[in-house]
Amino acid sequence: MTYYVFTLVFFLFDYFILAMGLNIQYGAAGILNFAYIGFVAIGAYFTGVASLPANTLGQQYILGLGLPFPLNTLIGGLAAMLLSVAVALITLRRLRTDYLAIVLISMSLVLYDFCNNFVSMFNGADGLYNVPEPFAKTLGLSVNSFIPFFACVAGVVALIMWFVMSRVTRAPLGRTFRAVRDDHVVAAALGKDVFRMQLKSMMIGSFYAGIGGGLLIQFGGSFNPTAWLPGETFVVFAVLIVGGAGNNIGMFVGALLVETLLIHLPAFLPEIPGHPGLIEYFDLAVVGIVLMLMLWFRPQGMVPESVRRAASFGASERPDGEADDLELGTPAAPARVAFESGDPQ
Amino acid sequence: MPALHAEGVTAGYGRAPIINDISLTAELGTVTTIIGPNGAGKSTFAKTLVGILRPMSGRIAVNEFDITRVAGHQIPRHGLVYVPQNDNVFKRLSVRENLEIGGFVSKGDPAARIAELFEIFPDLAKAHGKKAGFLSGGQQNLLAIARALMAKPSVIILDEPTAGLSPAYTSVVWDQIARIAQLDTAIVVVEQNVERALKHSDFVHIFVAGRDHVNGKANEIAALDLAAIFLGRSSASPVV
Repeated sequence: MTYYVFTLVFFLFDYFILAMGLNIQYGAAGILNFAYIGFVAIGAYFTGVASLPANTLGQQYILGLGLPFPLNTLIGGLAAMLLSVAVALITLRRLRTDYLAIVLISMSLVLYDFCNNFVSMFNGADGLYNVPEPFAKTLGLSVNSFIPFFACVAGVVALIMWFVMSRVTRAPLGRTFRAVRDDHVVAAALGKDVFRMQLKSMMIGSFYAGIGGGLLIQFGGSFNPTAWLPGETFVVFAVLIVGGAGNNIGMFVGALLVETLLIHLPAFLPEIPGHPGLIEYFDLAVVGIVLMLMLWFRPQGMVPESVRRAASFGASERPDGEADDLELGTPAAPARVAFESGDPQ
Repeated sequence: MPALHAEGVTAGYGRAPIINDISLTAELGTVTTIIGPNGAGKSTFAKTLVGILRPMSGRIAVNEFDITRVAGHQIPRHGLVYVPQNDNVFKRLSVRENLEIGGFVSKGDPAARIAELFEIFPDLAKAHGKKAGFLSGGQQNLLAIARALMAKPSVIILDEPTAGLSPAYTSVVWDQIARIAQLDTAIVVVEQNVERALKHSDFVHIFVAGRDHVNGKANEIAALDLAAIFLGRSSASPVV
């Protein structure tokens, strides 16, 4: 039972990190990154080859640094971030919205085929395995005790990354991301370098993807191409949309509802007699239905993006005396601001 | 010294020029309006001035600094700010956040500048914490103008600031434009409404088919046969 619960807890924290990364790209800066799972994979692979020793029987891979946690995971995050710079330089200067999304999903497929077939890099279709479990030898952890331990480690990492992301999104940088998302022409007309802003957003988000991938490979001890089929990107998008794009707390709620309850919990439910494995096959279908329902009935997600006033604007200066955070409505929400001069419209 | 000086500007999309050999000068404290029929190239000229489109030939200078080849996002640093026609605010940001974004290129204290602008636009002060998307079209246009003022620009280009507004709110917007011009700013307005443009402007340019057909002081232009000009007939003679 402990194994089941802490496995769910691990995936909750890991997908919270992944969703925060996608949130800064799509929710904040409006980059429709359909190659997101590719950055997760690069983070996982580089964490793996940074953890594994130089030579392992039956596996072919680059680096083999034998580094401990968290250095190995940081290398995974940085590798994903570097890849994002290359991808951004190719795509972000000239492409936007749906064209950008099409090119990114194509790049994800190219990356997938490359990792799958270029065996000497990450051991091809077999992937990496026997990746060392962090602190397992030092603390003398068994297979069963490692899972709760590493779920807690993932929780601490997620907490740190949430704190950092909250600071970023509340800072002028986060506000500028949202301005670029809302209208890149106006943002440029006000002196913002749109490409540089989107590049920064890609780098931050990809670093989060890499860290999430790094935790993933260390939790399972292995990682191969079946773990990051390009369609997996849409699971992270489902977490983001269900949780509420643009809100970091929403990412936690989305990870809880989608990744933990809909994707992983069914695997631990009792089998339907005569139909072994049937429940697991339905998980993505259920996610798809939930996604459609959310987009139809609550497109702003469970925890919508909030409008935050500048801290410098004190309560005494607020003529309306309202709370700091206001829930955003849907784009079609009616105007409800009463103006003294009265707008006849 | 003119705040804005454009000389012989030719520009367009791809290889085909939309505007040909256009010159315009705007002085501080004045309102210069560009009017003309649909497709005359008014917005194309505005986009060329602010670097969204690259001129094929000609020269554009702000405070005598040549910005012809300056990247669009760098132009506000040289004192020229653009307010697009529609969707000109960040709808999911608050009124105050919109203003803060506008202060990006300003060296002064953004909070102090926002306080100054709230005095000019008291309606915005009341709605400072509201999402800009909740404001009406006219209020959004005023917010876009106020946000442009955050950078304390020498020149503001307004692309049809009254498009789609009711007559009553159109007057409010024009009154604010006149008030802002008095704050030692050159304002260039692209406008469809000829009557209001002539009433509120100091200088008027009439574009027809991508060319600056007639230009001059507003009272002089008002005396011309504008219908004939808009229909493309070369007439600079006063209406009899």
